[in-house]
Amino acid sequence: MPTVEYRGMNLVVPENDSEWREHFALARSHRLMLRACAACSLMRYPPSHGCPWCQSLDWTWREVSGRGTIYSYEIVAHAIQPGFKAWTPYAVVLVELDEQRGVPSEHEALRIVANLLTPEFAPEPEANVAIGKRVRVLFQDLAEDFALPQFTLSDEPAPGRVWRLPA
Amino acid sequence: MGNLRDRYCIAGVGETEYSRHSGRSTRAMAVEAIKKAMADAGLRPDQVDGMMSYQSGDSTPANWVAPDLGIRLNFYMDVFGGGSSTEALIGLAMGAIEAGMCQTVAVFRSMNGYSDFRIGGTGARAAQPVRGLDLAQVPFGMRSAGQNFAPTFMRHMYEYGTTSEQVAHVRVAHSRHASQNPKAVLKERVTVADVVGSRWIVKPLHLLDCCLETDNATALIVTSAERARDLRRKPVYVMGVAGRVNKPRTDFHWAAGPITRVAGYHARDIVFGQAGIAPDDVQVTGSYDAFTFTTMLQLEEYGFCKKGEGGAYVSSGIIELGGRRPNNTSGGHLCEGYTHGMSMVIENVRQLRGTVDDSCPGAADGTHSYDYAPGKCRQVRDARIAMNLGWAMPPTGSALIMRN
Repeated sequence: MPTVEYRGMNLVVPENDSEWREHFALARSHRLMLRACAACSLMRYPPSHGCPWCQSLDWTWREVSGRGTIYSYEIVAHAIQPGFKAWTPYAVVLVELDEQRGVPSEHEALRIVANLLTPEFAPEPEANVAIGKRVRVLFQDLAEDFALPQFTLSDEPAPGRVWRLPA
Repeated sequence: MGNLRDRYCIAGVGETEYSRHSGRSTRAMAVEAIKKAMADAGLRPDQVDGMMSYQSGDSTPANWVAPDLGIRLNFYMDVFGGGSSTEALIGLAMGAIEAGMCQTVAVFRSMNGYSDFRIGGTGARAAQPVRGLDLAQVPFGMRSAGQNFAPTFMRHMYEYGTTSEQVAHVRVAHSRHASQNPKAVLKERVTVADVVGSRWIVKPLHLLDCCLETDNATALIVTSAERARDLRRKPVYVMGVAGRVNKPRTDFHWAAGPITRVAGYHARDIVFGQAGIAPDDVQVTGSYDAFTFTTMLQLEEYGFCKKGEGGAYVSSGIIELGGRRPNNTSGGHLCEGYTHGMSMVIENVRQLRGTVDDSCPGAADGTHSYDYAPGKCRQVRDARIAMNLGWAMPPTGSALIMRN
């Protein structure tokens, strides 16, 4: 830190970064922590300073289970970042966490963008990627005080419809 | 606030060639496009005293361009941004004139979007350091526009059963329009099979679902209806405008769904409210085609069909020339060239004048054949009201309604 090199990218988290620095450091201790409002208790992601619902500026870090469901996804076939070319095709997933689904209103949720990886940190084969599948967090350690929260398929059965782009 | 409907207009439009090899600076191209727009309007340099542009560190600011045109500025502003800026800047130009800051504003966008700063994000842009909010997506190989938008379309397919074949019709329609546009970079007509058979870029998007990257400058002139009365062209009036309207949580729009909803959901009441019309009153649309599905999503969000029925709408023939409400009659960003929205407004201005620059011998005087075969006419018969739906991102968009 403050710069982590990953797949040819410089991920910059300077000392004065008051959103991400702690987030990635907490991930390095293999805990997925989100900001929770000290006034109304609602959690939010990405890390931010004001509560989107009650505007309180006071917050704490709160651990979540790291379990969720694939809400949407894409399969990158043509990488634009040179460091990702060897990874293609790779999945980017939008994961909806189990906590706070449909709260405080129907279409709101804690959703996180990540890659869908095998436990060995390789891209999950495309045929296994689908909306509705259950996933759990997987921490990809990149530096002493920096890990990327990623996701991997869990062995839980999907609770609802499972759908993938027709081949 | 008072309604400015019909009190402002677009008095002139102009552009450079659309190419992948301009071989010159964004300053040189901007000067050419603005000069053409001024000539189109019949304006002398001392009659233009405002200038606005938008860019992302890839262009030349207005105050470096104006002196080449002999213009002394009473107002200028260069804003950060891309798609959906066109409509927003037209509204801001109206505001600047209304506030008495200036009298006539040239709006331009100049970019070497292929030969220098690749719009698709490859090259120098892909190597930029990742910081701040970009850390939520870019470390996961989600950086280009296609990568940023694809999960929106994927979820639309899941929720509504929309198919690749349905949105491929957007490319098909726009390629047909481009075949009647001598300026278009891609003039060849394509089929649905061509689109869904092209290679994958980021699923669910094929190569032909994606727009072009090109080098060009585009310009238009905004002035009051009163001042436009004596100018060379019949003015095209602004009936309503909405600029950079956002969904909630635009910092990370995935947090506040439905994620298949786009900004038009919030913009439509603003723009239709000002104009005092309904979608059925519009004869020509310019729904931003960064990708085939962005055109589809916006058309349904603005109420040209029901939510979720965009796939059926764009594959019905309605959006083609000869159909009930053609979209992007120039070929748009998919086929004509990539301009961050300017060319779609320019095209609609020409449609409303009746002087679209197709191959009809009398086009400049408004004489058209209305034969929509390749290489022929692309003028819409009796176009009175046109609408532009500007797209920046799923949660951000602009809109403009014009009449003749």
